[in-house]
Amino acid sequence: MNAVELATILLAWVFGVHIPLVYTVLGVLWTLPALEYASRGDGRYMVAVKGIARYLIAVYAVGGVFGTIITVFLAGMLPVFTNLAGVLLWPVWATAIAFGVAIALPLIGYWYRTLGHMSPGRHAALGFLTAGFTTVIPLMFRLVFAVVNYPAGVEVVNDPSSLVGFDLVVRNYWALFSNPTYPPLILSTLLGAVAFSNALITFVYGYSSSNLEVVSMSRKVALTFGAAAALSGVWYLFELYYYAPTMAWSILGGMPSTIPASLATVFMPTYSLVAPFIAAVILGLVSAVALLTSSRIKSRALNILGLLTSIATVIDVEEVNLLSHLPYAIIPPVSAAEELASQYGVNFALTVAKVLSASTMATTLNSLAVFVSADPAVLYFSMAFFALFTVLVLVGIYMALSWRRGS
Amino acid sequence: MSTLEAPLLARWLSGVGIMAHLLLASMFIGTITFAVVAEYRYMRTRDDDWRLLARTFAVIATIFLGVGAAFGTLVEFGLVVLWSNFVTLIGSGLVLPFYFELYAFLMEVVLVPIYVFTWDRFRNGWYHWLIGLVAALGALYSAFNILAVMAAMSMRPPGLEIVELPKSIGQVIQYAAVFTSPSGVLNMFWSGAEIFIFHGILAALILSWSAIVGLTIYSHRRSPQPYKLKALRTMLPALTALIAVEGFVIGHYQGELVVQFDPLKLSAIEGMFWSGFKVDPLLSLFAYGDTTHGFWGYFSWPASIRPPSFLPAFYLGFMVAGGVLLGAWSLGLTLYYYDLHKVKGFGWIKGIERLLVGGGPYALVLLAALASIGGAVTAEVGRQPFVLVKAVPSTTGPPEITGIPVGLGGLYNPTLTLTPWLAVLIFAVELLMPALAIYMVYLYLNRRVVE
Repeated sequence: MNAVELATILLAWVFGVHIPLVYTVLGVLWTLPALEYASRGDGRYMVAVKGIARYLIAVYAVGGVFGTIITVFLAGMLPVFTNLAGVLLWPVWATAIAFGVAIALPLIGYWYRTLGHMSPGRHAALGFLTAGFTTVIPLMFRLVFAVVNYPAGVEVVNDPSSLVGFDLVVRNYWALFSNPTYPPLILSTLLGAVAFSNALITFVYGYSSSNLEVVSMSRKVALTFGAAAALSGVWYLFELYYYAPTMAWSILGGMPSTIPASLATVFMPTYSLVAPFIAAVILGLVSAVALLTSSRIKSRALNILGLLTSIATVIDVEEVNLLSHLPYAIIPPVSAAEELASQYGVNFALTVAKVLSASTMATTLNSLAVFVSADPAVLYFSMAFFALFTVLVLVGIYMALSWRRGS
Repeated sequence: MSTLEAPLLARWLSGVGIMAHLLLASMFIGTITFAVVAEYRYMRTRDDDWRLLARTFAVIATIFLGVGAAFGTLVEFGLVVLWSNFVTLIGSGLVLPFYFELYAFLMEVVLVPIYVFTWDRFRNGWYHWLIGLVAALGALYSAFNILAVMAAMSMRPPGLEIVELPKSIGQVIQYAAVFTSPSGVLNMFWSGAEIFIFHGILAALILSWSAIVGLTIYSHRRSPQPYKLKALRTMLPALTALIAVEGFVIGHYQGELVVQFDPLKLSAIEGMFWSGFKVDPLLSLFAYGDTTHGFWGYFSWPASIRPPSFLPAFYLGFMVAGGVLLGAWSLGLTLYYYDLHKVKGFGWIKGIERLLVGGGPYALVLLAALASIGGAVTAEVGRQPFVLVKAVPSTTGPPEITGIPVGLGGLYNPTLTLTPWLAVLIFAVELLMPALAIYMVYLYLNRRVVE
């Protein structure tokens, strides 16, 4: 197993656990104040609001832990990339962490503690404020994703004194927001999170046949936001086609017309992700059908199917988004490649592209990859251990749920 | 081109942040350990007081874990933002402890909530205790790995070479740290690192147990309860023993490491403010067992690489004197709570009861905090302005001190603009988060009392 494969497997695994958890937190944070506001007159949704709120901090904490694991994996597997990302995008990281830890966490705690001790309208307003602050976290992290799709605002400066022959520079941080892949990405994330969390609420309460009013409302929200998220996804794919052609090529299976034939080998993806992409579409459709039919058919099996397909859809979409970048860690834009080639020569443009590849980022100065290739048992042991802990996370959540219900 | 020192504001931010995180992590280690000890006593004796203690401390541990983990994320991003080039050192050489720490972190985060949520859920209670034990081991293993990295910062592990790149990568990365062989990464846990690690773990336990004992004494004096006395009778002898082992055994070996691997730090912390090589009979006695050995004085090295001269206050004043006083106070309290003052010949303990017991809560907390701060500052500031420090013997003068500078071109983020108001905000967060944890514990304990 080489360093890129090692990095790919571990990062894909940890993203697969992290993303559904943080989607749940984000979606629930917007949903609960809405339910609270809707029930301010008669309190009809409050039992469900209190029930769901109990798990918010626990899910946030476990999701946060997996976020930390991502950082350690990135530092361990792609140290040069992580180092450069830290230097180039430090205000983005700083803002995310300031909102994520310093503001959102205490606010969520305060919101939870004041639930039932404040007028529902005011408490719902506090909830929306909390959700707004928490949303800054994905707003920032998705900006990093957008930069690796298409490094808008990042300049390549020819520098003979640099070991790689160039420097990456961000002169204006606001220019990062001009990334055309960013608006559809963040939109589909936010809409998808609300749809996902409401689908979970629908299927979990549907399974136990409790809080049926909430089930009915969540079903409608999940379907509406899910459809909107799917449309945002189409917009995202459209932007990828023009600005991140390697990703579009990987997902759609054919070379986009935006890539000049002479640069085909430069932008060719490592993996064809057509099958996982189609699987994501099918899983999303199955989930939608389960949502629709669960209003008429009372079946535990149907709820379990809907729950599993909803989770699988989110994981599949996220993995496709992650892996379609390969072979690049940061995909060089076609326009920049052409401009660099004309300004500094083809060799310089190829050097930049090579440096931005995951292979260079993963194999440069990577002691873990070297150690694992010398002693692969470390990797197998890791995978077994991580699988065990993923199961334990699920067992822990189940035990927490059953304990609460029993008490 | 690199500068040795980073801006003072950045160093203060990191210093305060790391101290606050150390406090939270230590409290988690101490409380989860005590919960497991208390549950063990319950399983053996079926005394409900121990069960109450175990459940209470398990919840307190969860609070410290939650806030500590969030704070850890803050510290981690602080590392990426302030000392961004440290990331390359992680990838190039120091990754293994971080990698192992992930398992430890998972053990804590997954098992601690399961431990808290599953009281009375197992027919055989020993299974529940086992979950707590593994969670506590996870906490200790987590500390083990992070301390291994901290040990490497102060003493470069064998086989780790610093590579200064012929040209920087993108004007950002100038240094890497590379082991000479693939299996060399295991040297992150070499014998010297293990001494550093166990010194740190014991310090964490001493700090947290001192705080717990202090608060328990305070509470017991206000409203005496048998379970509080049981807790004190268990914790106080253990605390005294831990302080003794820390001071007389591990502390001694730790000192020997400093003598051997960082003579400049030694001269700074011991206040050896002279130039050239000179015999110091007292230090020689402690380090070598005779009075004939000489040491290089602080002024033997260039001013640009000398750590601050205030270090003796932290080392000798806070850590050593604070530690000795803490040990003495803890011993006195142990004798008192085992009623030795009622035994003939120990009546004098009763004579100092007001000072010993009345002042105990304040003294234990204050002295433990001072000793911990002293130790942390000694270790971390004492290696300034380098990380991965190594002393190379020289035939013409004092050993040459080498390492990667923390300033621009070394670890510090070259694009960072750290304004004072931003720093004030970060300081506020760094101080508010431990305060939040303590407030949550207060709320929880108050609720228990009401119930």
